[in-house]
Amino acid sequence: MPLFGKSQKGPAEVVKALKEAVNALEKGDKKVEKAQEDVSKNLVLIKNMLYGTSESEPQTDIIVAQLAQELYNSNLLLLLIQNLNRIDFEGKKDVAQVFNNILRRQIGTRSPTVEYICTKPEILFTLMSGYEHQEIALNCGTMLRECARYEALAKIMLYSDDFYNFFRYVEVSTFDIASDAFSTFKELLTRHKILCAEFLEANYDKVFNYYQRLLNSENYVTRRQSLKLLGELLLDRHNFSVMTRYISNPENLKLMMNMLKERSRNIQFEAFHVFKVFVANPNKPKPILDILLRNQEKLVDFLMKFHTDRAEDEQFNDEKAYLIRQIKELKPLPGH
Amino acid sequence: MINYNININDYKVVSPLSQCFEGKAAVYLAQHVPSGSMIALKKFNMDAIREDSYLVDVEIILTRQLHHPNILQYFISFVQGPEVWVISPLMAYGSCKDLLSQHFNDGLPEQAIIIILRDLLEALNYVHKKGFIHRAIRASHILISPLGKACLSGFRYSCPIIVNGKWQKTIHSFPSSTKPNLNWLSPELLEQNLVGYNEKSDIYSVGMVICELANGSEPFAGMSKTLMLTEKVRGCIPQLLDCTTIPREEGDDFSGGDCDISPKIVNRRFSDDLHKIAEICLNQESYYRPTAEQLLADSIFKTIKKSMPLPDLLKPALPLSDKVAYNTDDLEELKSLNNFSSLEIYSCEWDF
Repeated sequence: MPLFGKSQKGPAEVVKALKEAVNALEKGDKKVEKAQEDVSKNLVLIKNMLYGTSESEPQTDIIVAQLAQELYNSNLLLLLIQNLNRIDFEGKKDVAQVFNNILRRQIGTRSPTVEYICTKPEILFTLMSGYEHQEIALNCGTMLRECARYEALAKIMLYSDDFYNFFRYVEVSTFDIASDAFSTFKELLTRHKILCAEFLEANYDKVFNYYQRLLNSENYVTRRQSLKLLGELLLDRHNFSVMTRYISNPENLKLMMNMLKERSRNIQFEAFHVFKVFVANPNKPKPILDILLRNQEKLVDFLMKFHTDRAEDEQFNDEKAYLIRQIKELKPLPGH
Repeated sequence: MINYNININDYKVVSPLSQCFEGKAAVYLAQHVPSGSMIALKKFNMDAIREDSYLVDVEIILTRQLHHPNILQYFISFVQGPEVWVISPLMAYGSCKDLLSQHFNDGLPEQAIIIILRDLLEALNYVHKKGFIHRAIRASHILISPLGKACLSGFRYSCPIIVNGKWQKTIHSFPSSTKPNLNWLSPELLEQNLVGYNEKSDIYSVGMVICELANGSEPFAGMSKTLMLTEKVRGCIPQLLDCTTIPREEGDDFSGGDCDISPKIVNRRFSDDLHKIAEICLNQESYYRPTAEQLLADSIFKTIKKSMPLPDLLKPALPLSDKVAYNTDDLEELKSLNNFSSLEIYSCEWDF
């Protein structure tokens, strides 16, 4: 590509040119088309410096370091994200690729871009609000998931008020956006085990209050995904105290028992993996035990017939047999 | 530009077209009621899809992020009951696989193959430049529009080339649920060894598709998967079947005996250029396979200018149109198929 490839522009010039073009685009004067073209062209230049092309290798570390420094100093990353909707289709993806590469930069054990973003959390909040806009949602999603890999950035996002918007984003009617938002949501809640456990413990009531809505969602995909994630969260040993709290609430048990009977086989199956935690608990609180005892025969009967076609799934069958045995052996607490 | 909304009443199913994703998804001919235009409606039956439901996410999210005239566009996707619905333009000639099985059992005419190949390479060139490997290039994933434009689909098996913030020289991940695509996959991908593979793996599959389009079925079809792999690793290069590649001795009778090849195949002749292009794509060593961009510069594509348009070359196949017969039987059958998985209802009532 002689049009772009042969450029001898250094990092400082490219960043300056890109910033001017984005500013022009933002102002929206009559030269918008020209500005958009300049933005796309310079984005490709920066992308090629970072990733190389089929004809050229990526630039040396020194050049990349200069480029990163220019990007920090010019505040261009935020500016690009704020104007993402004005950039053309391919340019939006280039922004994400440039961002993701710069984010991964390392000097020894330090991640300078992560440190930079910690001082400019607005970048994260702007990205999160990207899910509000169809045309940039998926681009913001790829950048957010890269950010979520870093504990410091995940922490900022989890502990922000904006985090609770995810409960809305994962349920939007456009499937691709909801599904993308869910993978970011899941990444934030599972990636850094200790951080996540602390967050869930500290915000148990608020989070599970919101989470309840996902489990009751009208949207099949949301319901299934959130139920599956709930099972994963409860079974993660880091979340022991969250799990203990969850399985002490009889309302949660009732919900799972009802979901075991849902029409959808996948939902039944995911509900099984949450239900089993209630039964396996060696210290069942009285209200939980009472419900299980009241339904002892029905549950045994039900589980015997539950997903019998999964003969090849050994783990599932072992677990099911274990649950049946446990429920059969249930006895009321002494003195009642 | 028509605006497609998330409103099920906007879409009226006319007739079923085909099934895909091993029967877990179905494509329907449908009408977009507000505009009156005909579209394709793909329904993924999510309740029938267990562990590999993320493939649906991959396909839809990636397809939504690709814009190219030779890539099937997804206008919109949304959840409807236990199904995910995807609205896309109607590919009125169906897939190349449909064309082969319905009208061209012995393969397509050479000129048609060249036009489809060019469109496929245009799409792949874009996909590779954007940093993805398709990993499921096959005739059933190449669809033909009413005007005779070939469009690539089937992105659920694809993978990104950019991993960990870097453009990877080689990829090692093996695509999941890829059983139906194995015959088309390159030897280096199938071997799953430390050497890995790159986007040239797709070029091998292009070679397989050329053979598939020319011969009527893909090489190694009907063969055991182990034997197929052994043959590929040993360096067996599949060929286009014609009078230059089928050995013929005086007095041989091809119409009888074990060798069940129609005289049409034995007597035809593909151009040397087409043979050559298939051969370089199928080179055992990925290094020697050209890129999609290099292939597009091949002189064989210069013949397209003088060629008849694809729809004429595809006769007697006709494009689907809104005049297509409303086939209620098929529709009922598919409906019952879709509902089957949710028939199991537990009648017991819990005592809370």
